[in-house]
Amino acid sequence: MNVIEINHLTKVYGKSRGISDVSFQVKEGEIFGFIGPNGAGKSTTIRLLLSLIYPTSGNATIFGKDVVKYASEIKKEIGYLPSEVFYYDNMKVKDLLKYSASFYKKDCTKRIKELAEIMELDLTKKIDDLSLGNKKKVGIVQGLLHEPKLIILDEPTSGLDPLMQQRFFDLLEKENQKGATILFSSHILSEVQRLCDRVAIIKEGKIVQVEKIRTLKENNYKKFKLETISELDFNYFKVDGVNQLKIVGKTVSFIFKGNINTITEKIANIEIANLWVEEPDLEEIFMHFYQREE
Amino acid sequence: MNMFLQELKAYQKPTIIWSISIVAIVILFMALFPAFSRDADEFMKVLEGFPEELTRAIGLTFETLTNVLGYFSYAFLYIKLCGAVQAMNLGLSIVSKETRNKTAEFLFTKPVTRTQVLTSKLLAAVTSLLFTNLLFLFSVIVTVEIVKTADYSRQGLWMIAASLFFLQLIFLGLGMFTAVFIPRVKSVISVSLGLVFAFFIVGMISSSTDDEGLRYLTPFNYVNDYYIIEHLNYEMQYIGIGLAIICLTVILSFVIYRKKDIHSV
Repeated sequence: MNVIEINHLTKVYGKSRGISDVSFQVKEGEIFGFIGPNGAGKSTTIRLLLSLIYPTSGNATIFGKDVVKYASEIKKEIGYLPSEVFYYDNMKVKDLLKYSASFYKKDCTKRIKELAEIMELDLTKKIDDLSLGNKKKVGIVQGLLHEPKLIILDEPTSGLDPLMQQRFFDLLEKENQKGATILFSSHILSEVQRLCDRVAIIKEGKIVQVEKIRTLKENNYKKFKLETISELDFNYFKVDGVNQLKIVGKTVSFIFKGNINTITEKIANIEIANLWVEEPDLEEIFMHFYQREE
Repeated sequence: MNMFLQELKAYQKPTIIWSISIVAIVILFMALFPAFSRDADEFMKVLEGFPEELTRAIGLTFETLTNVLGYFSYAFLYIKLCGAVQAMNLGLSIVSKETRNKTAEFLFTKPVTRTQVLTSKLLAAVTSLLFTNLLFLFSVIVTVEIVKTADYSRQGLWMIAASLFFLQLIFLGLGMFTAVFIPRVKSVISVSLGLVFAFFIVGMISSSTDDEGLRYLTPFNYVNDYYIIEHLNYEMQYIGIGLAIICLTVILSFVIYRKKDIHSV
């Protein structure tokens, strides 16, 4: 079953920003990465899902219900963490969380305590006095306290130190194991790579690709680096499938996608001093998507 | 209910400050009445030297000024100004606060509809205004009773003083309506002072020229205190217009608020 279904969603603001014809599905129980550079349309898409803004055309459903028509009903089961958290300044953390919990028809006191303990959040402080990282923690607790079935995270890790980030990811994985679906938007690839099952890549308001993380990495992308005995003609490795070719002195590096034999043949024909073949990380593959379209 | 209480709490402080200020104006003005009525004759002579347009514009009418009711209605002009600013502030705030303080993403991602949000806010604002009006009415009745030199029409006093709430509801509506149109209200007080003073000045011009057409344009003149003193009645066509403005601005605000995009920071 699809928890989120986005069909040809388009939002035009003025002339420049917005998204056009975005479609993808998020299945129940998966951690779905939504990735792209700043300003590509990640937040716009999420804000459309939460009906903070309304689509120009196209539609989206969550739990099979239209996000505009059934907005308030759907939100009972959504936990949302915005990229920048702002709360009523003159409230204490405890009061804010209580206020947040009062919107859901269940008792969340135990859960608040539990989450605050995991995230090491002091409930008695005033929100005004909190650092950015601590405000973010309030956001995390606030987003998870009602045990939502769908968790939507918009660049959630900014401001968290590595230890807290780790705890937060563990928390998300636990929620996921309990059955929660997670939509995780980020421009930091390593965290998406670590957490997500599938990923949608967005660029300038359009979806470039939706792939399983594994496929994306295994899709015969290999990172080659070799040292040659003598200097090489630059065009020697310029064959189909070679990307990001760099030659610095006697060191050659590139990313290759395709039949691996074409490259091993090429390498066999020259004298080399050393050779590394590695799995490229997502970032390098990602750069490949971006560069190809330029 | 949770949103209503939260909103009520958010406006608690300003409401108390506005209420105290309005009560202070009442006490200040009414405390001067005994001295004023003692020297009324001399004061009148000074006033007669003023151009008639000016005295009318600032709400002075000789025939009634020596009476406590007439004197009160003179003071009431400035209380109305205060009350209008308070109501306009509230109207602007309830619509624009979440976007200005960037808490929109908190509130609007909760399982509530925009109509529920705005209804709670509107009810909290009206409750705050009711609180102010109760204090105001109480202070008026007490001070007038203390300083009166002769009998006056109680009904007239009630009718004048109660019109503050009516005026405030109009400005509450106008404030909401203004805020749904301005994408980002940076400073509530500057917008509200600007608009309220514009209406106030139109009101002064309308009073001084007795221009009936102009009178329709400013809520400040929908209730004419001197008309009440003479006839013990409101002028119904103006009350009708006021009610229409309240309904129209509130309904339109709701319609637009529901369809509006909530933009990010």
